[in-house]
Order: sequence, then C-alpha cells, then structure tokens
Amino acid sequence: MDLTREEEAILNGEEGEGKQKAMELVTALGKIYGADDLIDITSAHLSGASYKTIGDGGLKYLEDMAAGGAKVSVPSTLNPVGMDRERWAEMHISREFAEKQLRIIELYGQMGIRTTCSCTPYTGANVPSYGDHIAWAESSALSFANSYIGARTNREGGPGALAAAILGKTANYGLHLDEKRKPTVVIDAEIDGSVFSYSLLGQAVGMAIGSGVPYFRGLSPETGVEEAKALSSAMAASGSVALWHAEGVTPEAGGFDVSGLEAIHIGRKELEAAYDKLNTVDDVQLIAIGCPHLTEKEMHQIAAFLKGKKKVNKDVEIWFCTSEEVRAKCPEDVKVMEEFGPVLADTCMVVAPIEGTFQRTGTNSAKAGNYLPTLCSQKALCRDIPVLMELVM
Amino acid sequence: MIVNGRTIMSGKATGKVIKLDEPLSFLGGVDGSTGDLRVGNGGNVAGRVLVFPKGKGSTVGSFVMYDLMVHGVAPVAIINESAETIVATGAVISSIPMVDGVPSVDMFEDGDTVTVDATVGVVEIEGVTMRATVSSVLVKDGKVLMLKRPDRCHSFPGMWSLVSGKIEEGESPEEAAVREIREETGISVGKPSASMDPVYVREGDTLWQVYPFKFEVPGAEPVLNEENEGFKWVSRDEVSLMDTVKDTVTVVDFMLR
Repeated sequence: MDLTREEEAILNGEEGEGKQKAMELVTALGKIYGADDLIDITSAHLSGASYKTIGDGGLKYLEDMAAGGAKVSVPSTLNPVGMDRERWAEMHISREFAEKQLRIIELYGQMGIRTTCSCTPYTGANVPSYGDHIAWAESSALSFANSYIGARTNREGGPGALAAAILGKTANYGLHLDEKRKPTVVIDAEIDGSVFSYSLLGQAVGMAIGSGVPYFRGLSPETGVEEAKALSSAMAASGSVALWHAEGVTPEAGGFDVSGLEAIHIGRKELEAAYDKLNTVDDVQLIAIGCPHLTEKEMHQIAAFLKGKKKVNKDVEIWFCTSEEVRAKCPEDVKVMEEFGPVLADTCMVVAPIEGTFQRTGTNSAKAGNYLPTLCSQKALCRDIPVLMELVM
Repeated sequence: MIVNGRTIMSGKATGKVIKLDEPLSFLGGVDGSTGDLRVGNGGNVAGRVLVFPKGKGSTVGSFVMYDLMVHGVAPVAIINESAETIVATGAVISSIPMVDGVPSVDMFEDGDTVTVDATVGVVEIEGVTMRATVSSVLVKDGKVLMLKRPDRCHSFPGMWSLVSGKIEEGESPEEAAVREIREETGISVGKPSASMDPVYVREGDTLWQVYPFKFEVPGAEPVLNEENEGFKWVSRDEVSLMDTVKDTVTVVDFMLR
C-alpha cells in the first residue's frame, strides 16, 4: 500500500503506541481488501457498544485503549448499548451488567466519542453529506448513509471503525471507489408503500441476492427516511447489502445504465415468503418497536394511534426504542406511549440481554426478526405496528 | 522448508502447530479465558502456532482473541490461507504475529515446529522437505485410470493412485506429467485438457507438492512398467470407494467437473 511519509511515521510508532496500533489495523485491513492507499474521512460511527455483544474481552480492550490515551480525530458516534442508562431495572438487567455497560459508555466518552448511542445517527447526531468518505460500522446505518445520502463507507467492524476514527483515515477500497458503487442487479419492486412493506421488500431482496448492489425500480419518489431505514436495515440483516440505489429516489441512481443487468421481480409471492421466514411464533411475551431506532415522525404516528386507547393485556410487555435525542424532542408522544410501555433510550431488543427474561418477542422490524432468533434466542413474531399494538388492547 | 506468506500483523514467534482444517469462528470456537478449542479435535491454542484456512462468524471473535491475550493463553502466531476482517482485527489489537497467503493448511501437521516471521511474511517448517510431483487424471469414456502401487513402494505403499511421479531437475510440471505417463503406462499424450493449482499432501517429514493435470486418452490401453502392479478404469464414484492417496478424490472431482 502507498503510505504518505506521515502515515509511515505513525506506523513506525513515532506518534505513540495508540496511533500505531490504529494504523496497523487500518493498513492490515486495507491490505486484505486490496486498498492502494488511505483516504481521509469526515466522520465515524462505531459498533461494539453493548456489553452483551463485546463481553469482557471487548471491555478490557476499551480499557486498554482509553488508558493508552486513544482519542478520535473526527466526529464519531456510538451504536446502541445494552440498556437504557437510567431505566435498566425496568429491562430486567442485573446490576453487574449495568455497571459494566456504564463503564463501556464512559470509556468511549473518554476517547472523544459522542455517547448518544443510536443506530440512526443520520437523523441528528452524525449526518454525513453526499460524497463524504466515512468509516461507519452498524450495517443498517452505513447502508442508509451510502444509499440514501450518497456518502461512502465500507462495512467497518467495531475496532476498525475506532482505528479509523483515531486516525481520521480509512483504507481506500470497496465502496469508497466509483467502480464498486455500480448496481449489480435490478429489482423490480411491487409493494404497497407502507414502511412495513419496505421491511419485507428488504428481507426478500436479501434472501434473493445475499450481497451485491441492488438497483430498485418501482419505488415511490416519496420514499422517505423511515422507508429507507427499514429497507436498508432489512437488506443488511437478511443479506449483506451495504449499498442500494432506487430510481428517482437515491442521489446516485440517475448516473447508471442498468440495461444489461439481470432483473428480479419482487412482488406479493416473494413478500409472503419473506414474511413467513420472519414469523416463527404466534404469541409473545414482549413487543419491541424501534429497530432501527424510532424517528420523531414514527413517535408521532405511534402516539397518535395509541391516544385514547388502553393496554389491557398485562402479560405482554411493550418497549419502544429510540435515541435519547428523539425521546427528548417528543415529550407529549412519550407521555402517551408510556401508558403502554417504557420509551427506552439508546438501547434496543437486539443488543439488550432479553434472553434472560423472554423467549418470544414481537417486532415490526425485519432486521430484528433476523437477529432475535440468533442473538437473543427468541422466537419472533413480525407484524406491522398497529397489528402488534392490537394484541394488547 | 520455507513457505512464503504475507504480513498481516508483524512480529516473530516459534511454536508447535495446532491445526484446523475448517474455517474458525473464535466466538464459540475458542474459550477466551482458557484457550481451549471447542471445534476440530479439541486441544488448546495457548503458546501454539494456530493454523486454519480462514476466519468466519461473529465480529465479536476479535474480542475473544483479545480475551485470550489478556488471560495469557493466546496462540504465539496465526497462519491463514486468506485473512478476513475478524481474525485480522483480533490479531492486530492483540499483537499476535499473523501471516496469510500460505498456499494450503495441508502443508502443516499438528506438532510441527514452526517459526513465523510475520514481519517479513515467511514461515519455516522445521525438518520438513518439500518434493514437487505431478499427478495426472487420464480419462477414457468418462472413466479414470487408477494404478495400484506395490507394497514395496516407499511412499503410499499398496494404495491406488493417479499416474504420478517426481518432477526432475530442469523439467516443467507439464513435461514431467507427459514423461511419467509414457514411462508408467506406455501412453503418449499431447497437451493436457485441464490443470489445477498444486495440492499438498504430508507424509511424515515429506511434503508432496502435487501438480494435477487432466489428459483425454480415447482408445488408449496402458502397458505398465515395474512401478505399478495393476490398473483399473473406474468412475468417479468408484474412486471414492478405493484406498487412494490423499486428495485423489478432490483432484478427480475437479477434473471431471
């Protein structure tokens, strides 16, 4: 790889061990993926925030990094953690877990990372611009940033994204390059346009293609943040799609000639198969909404739907998951929603240790529908939000 | 013998090999606090040179590797055929010397003493000598010619093999294949119709580097020399039922595909 003299010096340890370690990691990954050089980034978003997912090995790693004086050099945000900072007891979390989780947040904070912990940093805390090179972990957020915004990032891992944040650089390969952003397959989509239908579409496409860069035809020009969030997260979970384009919707879509590409039709039959795949149980103990985190608009919609209604089924818990920022902006909605269940900030059902309490969970999210069985040992029920809410009314 | 690889994490270490033939997920595959392997034939990675084709599974695997380091039970070095993000990340953050790009994990055996100079990107397997050979799949009417090796053979006695032999000094693998076929079967062949990357077969301290070829030989009938004591034309399925030299089935599968 071609390194500048300054980068070589960092690799040789001339700017301390912390930066050297970061450079070793970024160059090792660059070598594996055939990068020619490094590229400056404007922001980073880190995964590896929940104690449940990183464990004691991850905690010790962060302790050592922070003790070594590691500091990020670009604006950086953090993924959801394993609990609400204040309301962890309501989530049936043990004190030991809570203490370790709070320590993890503190360590990220010491390294200069903004510790609003959300999987939707693009709605406020960390908003890239078109053409920005960024180093983002969190598969759903990076796909949204690549696709809906037109920023450029690969699927970074947690330590790789932290190393990039420390250096302000990442290896220049993959989706940083024009060539790798071209569509690989056309998807002719036939959906009803609800956010839930975008989730199912994403699930179906991930199942059909696995990886690649799909180019959608037939999506509404009104496809908004919520729809793009659902589509991105579902395709990143059922497959490993990190970039998609949609005719008339995404900023790069107009620049491609897709006439020679294979076209796959996704319609009612495929959506039904996706739905069946996500549904493995009929009755649930927990209903968790907000994967990825609820936006302000979704908070308003849910509150409007719930207003004046009553939760009568006491056997089912409901969690609403969003970011601290969004929760703070929607006090009226929160008041209505709290009648049904806690509005939790900076956490979610996937990264919280729910497996100690629940075995069957309902969600409106295709992403959660994929991960609840594998990461949380849950059977899952996947329905649109009103249908889920009616289960407890 | 020296095997060339590529630096993933610099450093140098010597240790005894513990090898896995399948891709490894550190999460679930290795106990982070003891170093016990929960896959393959078990064993423990502490202080060993850990050899496996590549990583797989959860990205948390990087932190399991860090856990091994913290508990003092990490491998002293890692050798992969091809590195991916999870293991490379774990090796770098845990300062475990690592190379990838070795041609095959089949070059190594459990217990080999290996020195990994990951800074340079080379691996030395102590006391092992590599010998280059050829192995040809002769195909007639969809069937493959197998030769029976006599019991007095030095290598792989009594087993069935393809038409095989050592590459001599100054000879290309293809030339050696044509010569061996002529010597062992009396059949004259022209150009091979297919070839594949070398496969590696360990037999004690010898590492056989085998260059496979495929030749179409319509109408040919072998006339054996003293090196073999019998022959058979067999289908792919029959090959898998015979007592053959390691990797014969893999080579036949590839060539008949």
